[in-house]
Amino acid sequence: MLSVEQIKALPMLEAPATVRIMFEKTGTLKFISHLDLQRTFNRCLIRSRLPVWYTKGFNPHAKLVFSLPLSVGCESVCEFVDIKMEREISLSDIKECLSAQFTSEMRIVDIYYPDTKFSDIYYAEYECRITCKNADAGTADEITSFLSTSPLTMLKRSKSGEKEVDIIPFIKKAECKEDNGTLLLSMILMASSSDGSLNPEYPIKAVCDKFSLLQSETEDYYSLMRKNIYSKNMKTFK
Amino acid sequence: MNIAKDDRYLSILKSVSKPGRYSGGEYGQIIKDKNSVKASFAFCFPDTYEIGMSNLGVRILYGVLNRDPDIRCERVYTPWTDMQEKMREHNIPLFAHESGDPVSSFDIVGFSLQYEMCYTNVLSMLSLSGIPIFASERNEEHPIIIGGGPCAYNAEPVADFFDVFNLGEGEEVLLEFTKMYIEEKEKPGYTKTEFLHKAAREIEGIYVPSFYSVTYKDDGTIEKYTPIYDDIPTKIKKRIIKDLDKVYFPENPVMPYIETVHDRIMLEVARGCIRGCRFCQAGMIYRPVREKSPDVLCRNAKCIYESSGYDEISLTSLSISDYTRIDELTDKLLEFTDPNMISLSLPSLRVDSFTRELMDKVASVRSSSLTFAPEAGTQRMRDVINKNVTEEDLMRAVGVAFEAGKSTVKLYFMMGLPTETDEDIEGIATLATHVIDKYYQMPKEKRKKAPTCTISVACLIPKPFTPFQWEAQDSLEELRRKQELLYASIKDRHVKYNHHDAYVSRLEAVFARGDRRISAAIAKAHERGFCFDAWDEYFNYEGWCEIFDECGLDMSFYANRQFGLDEVLPWDIIDIGVSKEFLIRERNNAYAGKATPSCREKCSGCGANKLGGERTCCPSNK
Repeated sequence: MLSVEQIKALPMLEAPATVRIMFEKTGTLKFISHLDLQRTFNRCLIRSRLPVWYTKGFNPHAKLVFSLPLSVGCESVCEFVDIKMEREISLSDIKECLSAQFTSEMRIVDIYYPDTKFSDIYYAEYECRITCKNADAGTADEITSFLSTSPLTMLKRSKSGEKEVDIIPFIKKAECKEDNGTLLLSMILMASSSDGSLNPEYPIKAVCDKFSLLQSETEDYYSLMRKNIYSKNMKTFK
Repeated sequence: MNIAKDDRYLSILKSVSKPGRYSGGEYGQIIKDKNSVKASFAFCFPDTYEIGMSNLGVRILYGVLNRDPDIRCERVYTPWTDMQEKMREHNIPLFAHESGDPVSSFDIVGFSLQYEMCYTNVLSMLSLSGIPIFASERNEEHPIIIGGGPCAYNAEPVADFFDVFNLGEGEEVLLEFTKMYIEEKEKPGYTKTEFLHKAAREIEGIYVPSFYSVTYKDDGTIEKYTPIYDDIPTKIKKRIIKDLDKVYFPENPVMPYIETVHDRIMLEVARGCIRGCRFCQAGMIYRPVREKSPDVLCRNAKCIYESSGYDEISLTSLSISDYTRIDELTDKLLEFTDPNMISLSLPSLRVDSFTRELMDKVASVRSSSLTFAPEAGTQRMRDVINKNVTEEDLMRAVGVAFEAGKSTVKLYFMMGLPTETDEDIEGIATLATHVIDKYYQMPKEKRKKAPTCTISVACLIPKPFTPFQWEAQDSLEELRRKQELLYASIKDRHVKYNHHDAYVSRLEAVFARGDRRISAAIAKAHERGFCFDAWDEYFNYEGWCEIFDECGLDMSFYANRQFGLDEVLPWDIIDIGVSKEFLIRERNNAYAGKATPSCREKCSGCGANKLGGERTCCPSNK
């Protein structure tokens, strides 16, 4: 791993270079909010001693741009953050320096120079595993059709307040299967900054309420994972 | 079984507030192989995660214990009430952060007792762990319960719940105690009582309350403490770390994910205080004053910065500007903090040593406010409490702050002080008004916005080991009247006023000067579900009154009674180094309105120098 002296000796770039980090946020880290994650990331960067570009101004800070915020309780294998380097440093060195500062629940998957913008993100895929008593194939089929039949109106919260909204148009695809005595619900939901997005907790709540899946707090539960992110043409976002 | 990784537990976390308090997995936590250690120590902080993670003492002791290859130390905090409810409902025992092991499976369970109002939290944590709250109801299967921290200097109100207390600074004592436990537990015929007896006999600073029986006089005061063994000390002497340059300092902190109260590097520059304010317990119990060298501090700071990623350093001590080498230290630190964009902050500034130079060094661009503690409104009152600052000092200090562009000043005061008159209370309002006047004395072009002077007024709580330990606290009615009087005296709309809850202060006084009989009330409060008494939303004064009545205990006996100078005090079996004669002298000085010079100006013979110490201003005791 590069030493502090080696990092300081790296040549300065004419303009800071943007580097994209794809990472996982799993395990108990799902309980850490987006704001807490940002702070944690900043501290990891300081510890790594990487030549991060700092904003010039009254209160200099590292410029971090995250993709879609993840809601508390949801794990992910496809989180993205853009950072800027002010010196010429190889991607593998960045990965090595940064990985050493992360815990196993915050693993770096990939580091590269991006050629897309976060505003290109259009869909997000989630997998929800529901552990409950009535986890059978029949219920699974009913859930699949329930999530494809418009209208399914819910009280949806947005910046402008709460509003009754039909959530079906936000669901690109929803499929439920019985899997080892649990229900496995796969969903591709809109996640666009311009055309609208849907938090996966809405369809999950609709399903759990409709089919009375969560009867006991500790016996019936679900886990949620963001599996993939896509652009408008359904190409995996990178 | 690791409870923390259990799906059922994880599903509960979804329905409680701030689940990040319980999820663990922080960078920097120390996870040890259970089979490679000889003793496990659960370090409990009886308040929320955010407060516990901010405590420097816990960080130090966590590091000290884990540095020993034979010891595994893990952290535990009080779950918030919503979580407690869920845990009880689903039979989830309290467990430690690192391994997820139940607290009841540890060899030793330690509690850091930072303030009296956390006592019910201690009991909640014990019962959530499935451990009987009374020491007398526990057997060999249960962990040893040890307490420490400032409240241990009079731990009598909770003595029945603890097996043992550690008096004084814990870096050495806790290690010696745990090492002795490891040695003894391997011997055939080991019993908890015999081990505790050996520890009480051989380790200085170890107090086993059940080894001392207490008798009371007819008037309710204490007759005497009698040791039940001949070979244990009649007075337990507190321990100190003699050389702060050589003591362990945690350079690899555990990094919380969620925001905590003090989320920054805390650099402890000294222990003890040279001032001797007569109401201040910390100023007495941490004597003698010992300083740490700037070089060592800079080395610590660099290490923690590199291992934590914190971008703020706070220098901590009871009175930071009294640190003899403050200029050298701040200059040296700035050499490294400036290029790395680390901000430096100083808490507790004294008005008489506040300079523009010092302020510029620590100037944090984000903060527009400064805090000072004149503690009393008139010079007479400040002389009584030995707060050796004058109104001129304060005016000069706020003048410097205002000139430098600050517009908000916060002032700390106390009420209910001995000899206090209404004039002294009104003096608080007058002083605040003078601060505002000072702002308007500046030329108009320098005044950017309207000034604010916030005065925050606490009620005196007579604390053990202070010259005011014998004083009666003002009655509730009197405190309330004074609070109203002060409110009515404030005429300037730029002065903002807030005060401490008199009801809480009263209970705090009861606990602070309480004896062993108080434990019955605390146990009963726990039975009724009392917890988080330090939090407004859970403090139930009427409930406490009922409980004291039912237990046949009188709050005013402890809070509002003038204790006799010749009375046996519940904390008389503890020796903090400072003598009772000194405290009595200081009490007399208070009533005579006579100030006492600081330790650096002149030694007043408090007695703490017998404990030794490096880089101290005490005369040697040879």
